[in-house]
Amino acid sequence: MTTIALRGISKRFGLQLALDDVSLELKAGERVAVVGENGAGKSSLMNVLYGLYAADRGEVHVDGRAVRIRTPADALALGIGMVHQHFTLVPTLTVVENVVLGREPTRLGLLDARRARDEVQATCARFGFSLDLGARVETLTVGSQQKVEIVKALHRGVRTLILDEPTAVLTPQEADELFSVTRRLSDEGLTVVLISHKLKEVLTFATRIAVLRRGVKVAEVAASASTPESLAELMVGHRVPTTTATDPRPSEVVVALEGVSAGKLCDVSCVIRAGEVVGIAGVDGNGQRELAEVLTGLRAVDGGTLTLLGDPARLNPGRARALGVAHVPEDRLKHAIVGDFSVAENVALGRQRQAPFAKGPRIDVEGRLARTTALLEAHDVRPRSPGLRIGALSGGNQQKLVVGRELDGAPKLLVAVQPTRGLDLAAVDAVRARLLDFRARGGAVLLVSLDLDEVLTLSDRVLVLHEGRLTGEFQRGAFDERLIGQRMLGVLDA
Amino acid sequence: MPETASPSRANVVLRSALPSVLAIVTSLVICFVAVALLRGGVAVAVDAFLAMTWGAIGDVPKLVDGASIAVLLRPWGESATKAALLTLTGLSVAVAFRVGLFNIGAQGQLMVGALAAAVVGAGLELPPFVHVPLCLVAAGAAGALYALGPAILKLRRGVHEVISTIMLNWVAVSLVENWLVPGPLRAQVGGGNSVAGTAQIHESAELPRLVGEVSRLNAGIVLAVGAALVLWLWLSRFVGGYEWRAVGLGPEAARAAGIDVSGAVVRAMVTSGALAGLAGAVLVLGTEQRYPATLGAPYGFDGIAMALIGNGHPLGVLATSVLFGGLRAGGTRMQLFGVHKSFPELIQGLALLLVAARLIWIRLVDRLAPPRGGGP
Repeated sequence: MTTIALRGISKRFGLQLALDDVSLELKAGERVAVVGENGAGKSSLMNVLYGLYAADRGEVHVDGRAVRIRTPADALALGIGMVHQHFTLVPTLTVVENVVLGREPTRLGLLDARRARDEVQATCARFGFSLDLGARVETLTVGSQQKVEIVKALHRGVRTLILDEPTAVLTPQEADELFSVTRRLSDEGLTVVLISHKLKEVLTFATRIAVLRRGVKVAEVAASASTPESLAELMVGHRVPTTTATDPRPSEVVVALEGVSAGKLCDVSCVIRAGEVVGIAGVDGNGQRELAEVLTGLRAVDGGTLTLLGDPARLNPGRARALGVAHVPEDRLKHAIVGDFSVAENVALGRQRQAPFAKGPRIDVEGRLARTTALLEAHDVRPRSPGLRIGALSGGNQQKLVVGRELDGAPKLLVAVQPTRGLDLAAVDAVRARLLDFRARGGAVLLVSLDLDEVLTLSDRVLVLHEGRLTGEFQRGAFDERLIGQRMLGVLDA
Repeated sequence: MPETASPSRANVVLRSALPSVLAIVTSLVICFVAVALLRGGVAVAVDAFLAMTWGAIGDVPKLVDGASIAVLLRPWGESATKAALLTLTGLSVAVAFRVGLFNIGAQGQLMVGALAAAVVGAGLELPPFVHVPLCLVAAGAAGALYALGPAILKLRRGVHEVISTIMLNWVAVSLVENWLVPGPLRAQVGGGNSVAGTAQIHESAELPRLVGEVSRLNAGIVLAVGAALVLWLWLSRFVGGYEWRAVGLGPEAARAAGIDVSGAVVRAMVTSGALAGLAGAVLVLGTEQRYPATLGAPYGFDGIAMALIGNGHPLGVLATSVLFGGLRAGGTRMQLFGVHKSFPELIQGLALLLVAARLIWIRLVDRLAPPRGGGP
């Protein structure tokens, strides 16, 4: 039985203290969750254990013996493995080839394919994985690829398995399956560590939860004694009001699609009304991006018609804006702001030719400053420095500014793609509150998010996209997570 | 301006200019040491650098000794002429930079501009106040047209402007200097005599001299300073200039914001070509009085150095060009001390190399004087 102890780990990146004297003990057969906001240090801590970062101070003990872990190879030799968010598989190799890669059984210097297959088969059988061993990895679903990663670690004799935000890319079904796999592993006496900021899944997964905040371990609690609210409070340091939607009062149709095809998007028909939030559920890359680009004029329609406020519209980004379409894009730094512009210049972006940002052909510096100052105040963007380069703001403050700017011009439709991704909890809540507030004032919102919880929390209606086609529509009150998950995978009859 | 509480405007200007200033100072120091080592001592190097300085800004010691004002005006003329050409080509490259394009073709655009000025200057007879502007317009238009092609190729077919403008430089050499100038446009001189280059321009097309015959100081520098000021105001005060900068710094964000990205690229590239064309006109109307057999100094390529050392800022380009224009004019005086007259170009090259290490300078400045303000 292995026990791993991290003692007094500190790690500094430049001026930032990422980990400050953090200790954590992992016992065999435990399922431990390490939770915290972005930048709280949870990944850093596990990267120290896996030999990716060298700690500035502190020790790692395995079975009471101090060890030095300088590289992932050292960690693997000690039975510590890690599965990252981004997989490290070779897409064109088969499952067996990927699992044995690096320590292939050989005969006369050549790969002993039969023995490799038998060995991998044995590992799978032992831990209860069913995988098509001869399939090339690129043909597998994301969930199966993740299993290959786990089998690969187990095949190396790993006794402690670290999973870094493993459900970010999974559907609810796949996530459930992952958690039953981890339960089986811990029954076998393995230690499983989950890095996550999704509180619901942490509570279903873990026996013990360590909470990090700004590099400090602020609490270690039993899962049975915790609620999502109590964990959120520990993570943030104060009570977090949770945003919930009120009853919708949808009225006239703001935008209607009829048989629209564009890129991946195929024959999509739907309407979005004033005063409702329409959420798009789907696995990444199933046409969500194309849908958002069509509505914001960034992508031309290949077929079908788009009707905006009752008029058929051929959009380009400028016309979409003029007709009242606001856009909070997925890639903020690329599509929403100019990083080397000042905060004030970014507030003008998109409306730079209108008052109060321009007086005729000239920039109205005073007007722009006044509007920017008001916006910073109204949306609590810090610091309140209109002249500062926007790239110097934190992601949360940048996003609050973008949302504020987009809603500033009294738009009719807001297209929000992953609006809260990567933000800290307080900013997430601020952004969500703005979306719902806009809806309450009669705005129409199209929300695209890969976080199904977010879609279900905020939407009045959920549309499911699979391979560019609409495969389901659900009304608030009739949300069925399982059914939505199946539709996301393209399963139509259940 | 009340726009910022932090950091102050002066601080921002200083921080963006400092790397260039440090690069220039360092290259001057290195060159000074090199001269001292190779030409027999610090005393010689001091004399050589003093000679260059007096050659650039005027012979102040002689003026103190009672010489006429001409000892100032004559060097000023030489410095200003070179500074004007460097400024215009530097602005040409810089304005393309601001929309994210690397216009290597200023040299070609300068050549067609120079030819246009030479043809209009020699072919028409008009009063000066019409003739000079007409020559300038012709040169600007020729340069603009020559830059339009690469812009359209870039937008329509994705041809990289570095490739197309470099190739068009060679097209310009072949077209202008290998065919038109020695061929159809060669000066016709009576009596079987032959002159290299095109016909001499009429006096009415010459750029007016500012201080009479004492110095070659002409209106070219006024034009260059004016262009720098206009471009600076356009970029900093006008919505159109704001859009150009947005396109250069964040093309995707600019497109998503509804800015006409293609239009901005075309207009900036045409402006770039026109500025290089104007440089050609200043060379012909101010100095050469005809298109010579070959143009000589590659001012178009020097423009790249001016734009880079000037950090793409119109006033930075102007300051850099005035400095190097002066050094070049004064550099000829260093020959007396056994230093080749192309020495200032060496300083320029070294400064360019050091400016390319901008990040190192910024880090150095940040360490010595950490940025203040900005909040948490």
